[in-house]
Amino acid sequence: MALAAPAETYPGKVFEVIIGTEKTAVFGGENVLPFHKFDGSVPNRPVIAYEIQDVAPEDWPDTVKNVYGDAASDPVKWAIFCQNELKAEAIALRLIGTHPDRQDRSAEDAAKTVRAVLDAIEVPLIILGSNHVEKDSAVLVAAANAASGCNCIIGKAQEANYKTIAAAAMAQNHKLIAMSELDINLSKQLGILITQMGFDKEKLITDPMCSALGYGIEYTYSVMERIRLAALAQNDAVMQPPMLADIGMYAWKVKESQAAEADLPQWGSLKERGIAWEVVTAGALLLAGAELLIMRHPESVSAVQKFIDEL
Amino acid sequence: MALSGVEIFKLLPKTNCKKCGHPTCLAFAMKLAQRQASLDACPDVSEEAKIKLGEASAPPFRPITFGEGAKAVKMGEETVLFRHEKKFVNPCAIVVAVKDTDSEESIKAVVAALLDSEIDRVGQRLRLDGLLISNESGDPAKLAQAVALVAGQGAEIPLIISTTDSSAADAALGKIPGKRPILYGANDSNAEAMAETAKKHKAILGVSAPSLDALSDLTDKIKAMGVEDMVIDTGARTAGEILRNNTFIRRAAIKKSAKSVGYPIISFAQRDDDMLEALVASLCVSKYSSIVVLSSIEKWKSLALFTLRQNIYTDPQVPMQVEQKIYDIGETNADAPLMITTNFSLTFFIVSGEVENSKVPVRLAVMDSEGLSVLTAWAAGKFTASKIAQFIQESGVENQISKKELIIPGYVAILSGAIEEKLPGWKVIVGPREANALPAFLKTKN
Amino acid sequence: MLIIGEKLSIIAKRVREAMLNKDKGPIQEIAAAQWKAGSGMIDANIGPAEDNGEELMQWMVTTIQEAVPLPVCLDTTNFKAVEAGLIVHNNQWGKPLINSTSNDPERFPMLELAVKHNCQIIGLTVGKGGLPADAEERSAIAAEIMGRAMEYGLPLEDLYLDPLVLQIATSQDHALQVIRAVKMFQEMNEPPMKTVVGLSNVSNGCPKHVRPILNKHYFVMLMNAGLTAAIADANEIAEAMKDKPLIDDVLAGRTIDDAARMTETQKTIDVLTGKTLYAHSYLEM
Repeated sequence: MALAAPAETYPGKVFEVIIGTEKTAVFGGENVLPFHKFDGSVPNRPVIAYEIQDVAPEDWPDTVKNVYGDAASDPVKWAIFCQNELKAEAIALRLIGTHPDRQDRSAEDAAKTVRAVLDAIEVPLIILGSNHVEKDSAVLVAAANAASGCNCIIGKAQEANYKTIAAAAMAQNHKLIAMSELDINLSKQLGILITQMGFDKEKLITDPMCSALGYGIEYTYSVMERIRLAALAQNDAVMQPPMLADIGMYAWKVKESQAAEADLPQWGSLKERGIAWEVVTAGALLLAGAELLIMRHPESVSAVQKFIDEL
Repeated sequence: MALSGVEIFKLLPKTNCKKCGHPTCLAFAMKLAQRQASLDACPDVSEEAKIKLGEASAPPFRPITFGEGAKAVKMGEETVLFRHEKKFVNPCAIVVAVKDTDSEESIKAVVAALLDSEIDRVGQRLRLDGLLISNESGDPAKLAQAVALVAGQGAEIPLIISTTDSSAADAALGKIPGKRPILYGANDSNAEAMAETAKKHKAILGVSAPSLDALSDLTDKIKAMGVEDMVIDTGARTAGEILRNNTFIRRAAIKKSAKSVGYPIISFAQRDDDMLEALVASLCVSKYSSIVVLSSIEKWKSLALFTLRQNIYTDPQVPMQVEQKIYDIGETNADAPLMITTNFSLTFFIVSGEVENSKVPVRLAVMDSEGLSVLTAWAAGKFTASKIAQFIQESGVENQISKKELIIPGYVAILSGAIEEKLPGWKVIVGPREANALPAFLKTKN
Repeated sequence: MLIIGEKLSIIAKRVREAMLNKDKGPIQEIAAAQWKAGSGMIDANIGPAEDNGEELMQWMVTTIQEAVPLPVCLDTTNFKAVEAGLIVHNNQWGKPLINSTSNDPERFPMLELAVKHNCQIIGLTVGKGGLPADAEERSAIAAEIMGRAMEYGLPLEDLYLDPLVLQIATSQDHALQVIRAVKMFQEMNEPPMKTVVGLSNVSNGCPKHVRPILNKHYFVMLMNAGLTAAIADANEIAEAMKDKPLIDDVLAGRTIDDAARMTETQKTIDVLTGKTLYAHSYLEM
């Protein structure tokens, strides 16, 4: 008996987002579940951005810090390295040095860094704060202004600071990341609040909050799957922006990507283990619906690109 | 069409004899309706009921046990497409491939590594589940020899014998009687002989076909030959094909009750590139394979895949729990504040994340409350003053700290007096209700 | 429909302070207001009450029954507190109700109490660790609780099955599963099993102005499913009964004259049935 191969179609569709000016990157736009090309249209590949920081990555494990060496001492050099040597499609500049517990860099300094990086690269730039809600509202406003006309992504707006950040992103015509804490209903709520300000929902990117393999990834995975189903099956416009998975900072923070093999022989080689942690976290969240990834290790990025080729 | 519990109940003997292991016929009927019990458990069911219930009570994916003894692997029984709907039931088995042309030393090394692969993670024992031995040589004697070698090294490892030659299969299976192996390699041209061999050795039959339609026809044909336990291979090898075919099979079996594909799926993820192999295997684990075959055993790869499998197969209704103990966050000394919370993993991840953000070193006492969040645990009587006091006393933490102060979550502010009563000499401080207020709270506290 | 007035809970600050100070005034005032608004029973929720549970429950039961001629629903996980409350309960106003037993072995002794003191009991359809995923799992647990009740010698008409209402803000899919479970529970016995819900939990965690709207619509939908009893604020139930014809019209797909009410009701029904994803501002979308 021939099998009735049950294809599924949906009334909804994920918004397509284009970032950058000289060189652009495009993601989203599908009207089916992740990589379900057999059901409908998946016009764009997910985009992977390399993460760089405004200050030297002292807290990154050696496995990934060593890749960048001296280039990481300066954000402009670092960005050029990612663009020219690693062929990055996009770069994510995390202004971690602005955090009051790090270097507490000022918003003006952060804006200068943003401008300098933008002047040095052609690929699209994602500008991230330090996730300090008060500081971010000053830093990201200055950064959005400094990046005027560059069609960047600004992030992350959270419930406690979205008003100023969204207003600045809107004024400078940037895209905006809206992050809520691993809760589909709060994610929708934040989307509603931001669009109620007049922000175009088609310029939003949803960050349901990432988590690493072994450290709550099943929550992110299921929230992403549910967001995607709401976007497609329920045609819920607030849930239709593409999703971000901020992989690197979670994957490289956990014990599995840091502990020496000598201490934990059962866990095997540290270098491969760290990369595998970033890779498997990314793979799972791609399948759950992430269209934009931020990652750190070039070998991770290259493995994930090959995986996407096969999908 | 699936029957409801009450409809099934009407067909049962209603004797409440308990012989099925359930307290009443109604309770048994409810389990049957959820496809969590088998009608065979009822000794008194009528023939008429059996016919009516037969198909309706069979799970969409046939339950099959691969291997025998303590390391046997349960497969099938899945009922949903997405893990948020309901728990994925039987975790994907991870199997490593060897060839009968490999040297004896190299096969022995793989078996040893496999036996040594077990690790403990969040209270679960995780390991590589089995070995696939392929008849690369084409020589039946070599295959039998390799199977005997493996069986001699690790008799309890579940085995997949991969060959399309039924006489080679017969010889190899003869070396491992009663072990419930999988004979992989039945196809349209050898189905009859392979089915006979599988039946003779009580092996599970691995069936492959180049398309879903062809596979569906082939399983029907083999079932008619009297082989019920099959694992299926659609010929998918790229990630995209695996996702497509596995998705179609899962949909067809669950939504359309298509019995001809209601079998556990075997997928092959072998790649030259280890990272890519890990990714393709991740896809198989997340998206519906019951067995994934790998090319090699690296501990780092196993660790990542074990962890993903454990995460994906966690019951979304049962909160994941972390171990009850006192966690040091940052470089704690005797002056570090002591906080308490419940052992719901998400509570723990969020609270410990915020404490890390604060950069204030903290001792975080995580108390076993069956994985409930703070307020729910309190209401259920699992996070009460006397239980908190007992935990703090038994932990011995008071010998490590300079001030006997305990910070409790704002949601259970009501407990502060009662805890102080039960912990003489201690001061209880009420912390914030939400974790995101912790950095500000901890900094002003210092 | 039996309304079990829910306002006397230790979670409410005013009630907690009254319990702490043994101040009868607020307790009796609330109980009387619930009685006047139509409650047929009063819920006394004293929390886990580890320390003074027995004395507190006795004080609550007598304080309530001094003010209103109604039975009391004894709401605590503390077994001894329940028994103490049952001893002083005045049964001339009706049988008391124990809240609750479940499939958690720690809660089995509550069933013994119900038999020993000839009272009614709520069977909460949860097991130990983890929540039921859908109506079918709730029914399977209900069947086990019913089996245990028979074994202990409790008449099934004294058992109220509670499908466990969860917060729509975090567990939206369960809203519909609970409605389905209420229907299934009734089919599980002849005469039908009694059912009860803790209504207001559906809107727990939602913005203040949205809560009564969700409660009201959910109550009507549960009532239509055949619900026997609800632990709820009797004032809200009176509101719900007033609006029921209108809500029923929208549920039946009819258009009603008041466009604003129509929109509010339709959106709320869509959220409760899982057709649209819940967000705190769902009424504004």
